[in-house]
Amino acid sequence: MDWFYIKGILILSGINLMAVLGLSLLTGFTGLFSFGHAGFMAIGAYVTAMGTIKLGLPFVPALLLGATGAAMASFFIGRLTLNLKGDYFCIATLGFGEAIRLILDNVQYFGGARGWPGIPVSTNLTTVVILDIIGIAVLANLIRSRHGRNFKAIREEEMASQTIGINVFRYKMTALMISAAYAGIAGGLLGHYLGFLQPKMFQFVKSTELTITVIFGGLGSISGSVIGALVLTSLPELLRTFAIWRLVVYGAAVVFIMITRPQGLMGGYEITPTNIKKLFSRLPGSVGKKQAVGGDKK
Amino acid sequence: MSGFFQQLINGLSIGSVYALMAVGYSLVYSIMNFSNFAHGGVIMIGAYIGFFAMTAFEMPFAVAFCLAAFGTGLLAVVIERVAYSPLRKRNAPFLYFIISAMGVSIFLENIIIASPIGPTFRTYPRVFGTTPFIVAGVNIGRLDVMMFVISAVSLALLIFIIEKTRTGMGIRASAYNLRASALMGVNTDRIILIVFGLGGLLAGIAGILFGMKYTVYPQIGNITLKSFIAAVFGGLGSLPGAVIGSILLGIIETFTSGYLSSQFRDLIAFVLLIFILVIRPRGLMGKTTEDKA
Amino acid sequence: MKVLELKNVTKQFGGLTAVGNVSFEVEKDSIFGLIGPNGAGKTTIFNLITGIYKVTEGEILFEGRGTNSLEPYRVAEMGITRTFQNIRLFKKLTTYDNILTACHHNARYSLLDAVIRNRKFKAEEKGLFEQAQELMSIMGLEDRKDVVAGNLPYGLQRRLEIARALASRPKLLMLDEPAAGMNPDETARLMELIKEIRDRFNLTVVVIEHHMDLIMGVCERIVVLNFGKKLAEGTAQQVQANPKVIEAYLGEKEVVVC
Repeated sequence: MDWFYIKGILILSGINLMAVLGLSLLTGFTGLFSFGHAGFMAIGAYVTAMGTIKLGLPFVPALLLGATGAAMASFFIGRLTLNLKGDYFCIATLGFGEAIRLILDNVQYFGGARGWPGIPVSTNLTTVVILDIIGIAVLANLIRSRHGRNFKAIREEEMASQTIGINVFRYKMTALMISAAYAGIAGGLLGHYLGFLQPKMFQFVKSTELTITVIFGGLGSISGSVIGALVLTSLPELLRTFAIWRLVVYGAAVVFIMITRPQGLMGGYEITPTNIKKLFSRLPGSVGKKQAVGGDKK
Repeated sequence: MSGFFQQLINGLSIGSVYALMAVGYSLVYSIMNFSNFAHGGVIMIGAYIGFFAMTAFEMPFAVAFCLAAFGTGLLAVVIERVAYSPLRKRNAPFLYFIISAMGVSIFLENIIIASPIGPTFRTYPRVFGTTPFIVAGVNIGRLDVMMFVISAVSLALLIFIIEKTRTGMGIRASAYNLRASALMGVNTDRIILIVFGLGGLLAGIAGILFGMKYTVYPQIGNITLKSFIAAVFGGLGSLPGAVIGSILLGIIETFTSGYLSSQFRDLIAFVLLIFILVIRPRGLMGKTTEDKA
Repeated sequence: MKVLELKNVTKQFGGLTAVGNVSFEVEKDSIFGLIGPNGAGKTTIFNLITGIYKVTEGEILFEGRGTNSLEPYRVAEMGITRTFQNIRLFKKLTTYDNILTACHHNARYSLLDAVIRNRKFKAEEKGLFEQAQELMSIMGLEDRKDVVAGNLPYGLQRRLEIARALASRPKLLMLDEPAAGMNPDETARLMELIKEIRDRFNLTVVVIEHHMDLIMGVCERIVVLNFGKKLAEGTAQQVQANPKVIEAYLGEKEVVVC
C-alpha cells in the first residue's frame, strides 16, 4: 500500500466529506431528509468544469461558480418542495436528483451519457484538506449561533418554532442552499480529480450513500459526519478485493445500524475541546482543572 | 390511427404492471405511513424466481407464477420482521424506516450481483406464443393481453379481500387509524404481516410480468421509482388512486416515447412528479392531513 | 385600550364549522379567559390568532393591525406568543437551550456575522446569554439549566414552555391549558405565576383552561364557547351565574378535567 494509493483514498474521503458536511446541515441539524443531493453534486461538477474549460477560470473561482450554480438550482427546487410534508419531500428530492441526472444524460453539450473527458486534474490533497477545514469551520460557527439554534429548533418542533418567530421556510431554504453549495463544491472537486465526468457518477445510490453517511455519523454532529465520511469512504476502498460484496455488506450494515443504534456513531455529541475536558473531568481522580461549562459558551 | 391505438395498448399493458407495483406500495403506505423503498428489490426477486423456475427447473408457467408470487410474499414478510418491526416497536420516526428500507434494497440488488447469478440480463422464454391478436387493424401482443388480464384479476382479488373479508376490514380499519384499531381488538401485528404479504405477492406478480415483457436484471428495482410516482400521482394511501395513476403514467410514458423520443420516457415521469407535487400534492385521490396544534 | 379584537371570526373545515361568528375584545394588561367544553373551538381560535389556521371569514386585529393573512412567525414577530395543549418543547434540547433559542429575535446578526465571528456577533450573543440566564432565574428554572427538556417533570415542562414563550418579549401571551395535569397545589402556584408575569413583563394574557379555580381566580374577563359559538361573556361572577353557561358547561361546581 503506497502513499499514492492512500492519498487517493484521502482525497475521495475529503470530497465526500464536503458533500456530507452540507447534507449534515440540512438533515442532521434542520431535520430534512434529501435523497437527491447527488444531483447538486452533478450540477456543481459540470458548472465547475464549464468554468475551468470553457471560461478559463482558475480552479477555486470555478469551484465557487459551481457552488453558486448548485445553490441556485436548490433555490428553485426548494421553492417547489420545501412546503411539502416529510415523505413527499423525500420523494420530491429523489425525483429531482434523478431528473438532473437524466437531463445531463441527454444534453450533448456536456457529452451526454458518454461523459465529459479531458477535465484538468486540479484537485490535490492540499486543496481538499484546506477546503474541508474551511467547510467545517463555517459549519461549526453557523451552528453555534442563533441561526444554528433555529435550525435545530425546526428539526425538533416545527410548529413551535414558528410561534417563537422563526421564519421556518426561509431557514429551511437557507439550509438547503448551503447544503447544495457544499455538494456543488464536492462535485467540482470530484470532476477535477478524476479528469472526467459522467452523469451516472451521480445516481440515486450516491444520494443515498450521502444520507446514510450522515446518519451513520449521528444526526446533529459535525464530528460524527467527519468520522462517518472518512470511515465509510475509505473502508470500501480498502476492501476493494471484496468489491462485489461491498454493497451487500453495506446494505446489511445500514439495516443493522437502524435497528441497533439509529442515533449513529456520535448520537448527537460533538468532539470539541470543551467536551473532551468534560469527559476527562468526569473520570475518577480527574486530571485537569475543574470543568467550566461545555457546549455553547455560557 | 392504428399507431395511436397501438401506443394505447402498450401504455395500458405497462400501466397495469405499474398498477400492481403501485398498489402493493400504497397498501403498505396506507397502513404504516411510510414509503417502502425496498419494494423494488422485492419485485426484482420475484422476476428472478419466476425466471429460474421456468428455465433451470423447467416448470410450467402457472407453477412458476405461483412460486414467484408466494415466494416474494414470504420475502416481504421476512423483511418486515427483520428490518421494520424492531423500528416499529421503538416508535422510530418514519425516516428511519426509509433508511432501513434502502438498506434492504441495496442488499437485495447487490446480493444478486455478487452471487453466481450475476448481473447478466436474462430473457424469459416465450410463454404465450408470438402471434399477436389483431383487432381493428391493431396488433395486440398476447403478452400484453395476459399482463393486463393477470393484473386486473389480481387487483380484483385484492379488492375482494379488502372489501369483503374480515381480514380486509381489519386492513381498512388499520389504514384509517392503526392505534385505534389495535385498541379495538384488531390484531394489528397480524394485519401488518398480511399487508406486507399481499404487497409482496403483488410485487412478485409484477416482477414476473415485467421480466417477461422486458428482461431480468438486478436493477429492476429502480422501476419502483415509477410506481412511487404513480402512487403519488394517484394519491398516496389510495389504492384506486394508485391504479388510475399507474395506468395514466403508463399511457403518458408510452405516448411520450412514441411521439417525442424514447430518451424522454423516463424524464417525463419525473416531470409529472414535479408537476403533481407543485399543483396538487395529495394527488388525484389522496387524503389531506392537517397537523393539530 | 384593546390589544386583541376578534370580529365575526368563522373557521370552517370542509363542512364542519369549528368556530362560528365569534367576536370579543381583550383589554391591554388584562388576564382573559377562554373556556368551554372540549371541542368548543378554543384551541382553534388560538390557532387562528397565531396564524396556524387562516380564517374563513372575519377579522382578527392585534393592536389595531389585521393579522388574518400573516404567517405564524410574523404573528410572533408582532408580539403574540403561545404555549400548546400538548407541550411542544424542543424535547431533546436542554432547558437553557430552549429558552436561549427563543431569544433569537433579540439579536440581529446575520449568517455571515456568525460565520466570521465579528464583534457584532460576540456582543449580541453575550446579550442573548444574559437574557436567557435572567429569564431562567425569574422562572425558577435555573437549577435545571442543563437538564434535557424531555426529562423534566411535567409541571416544570409547562413552566419551561411559558418561559420560552416569554423569551421574545411578547405583548400578548396565550396559554393553552397551562394547568392540565396539575394538582391543586401546583395550580395555585401557577395562578400566582401568571399574575406575576403579567405584572412584571407588562403583558396581556389569554388563557384557555378547564380548571375552574384558575380561571375564576385569575381571569378578569371570560368568554365561554360552545360548539364554536360564543355562549357568554363577562366577569367571573357574571359567567358563573349565567344560566346558559351552567346548563351547557359548568353543571355543578364540578369541573371536567381531562
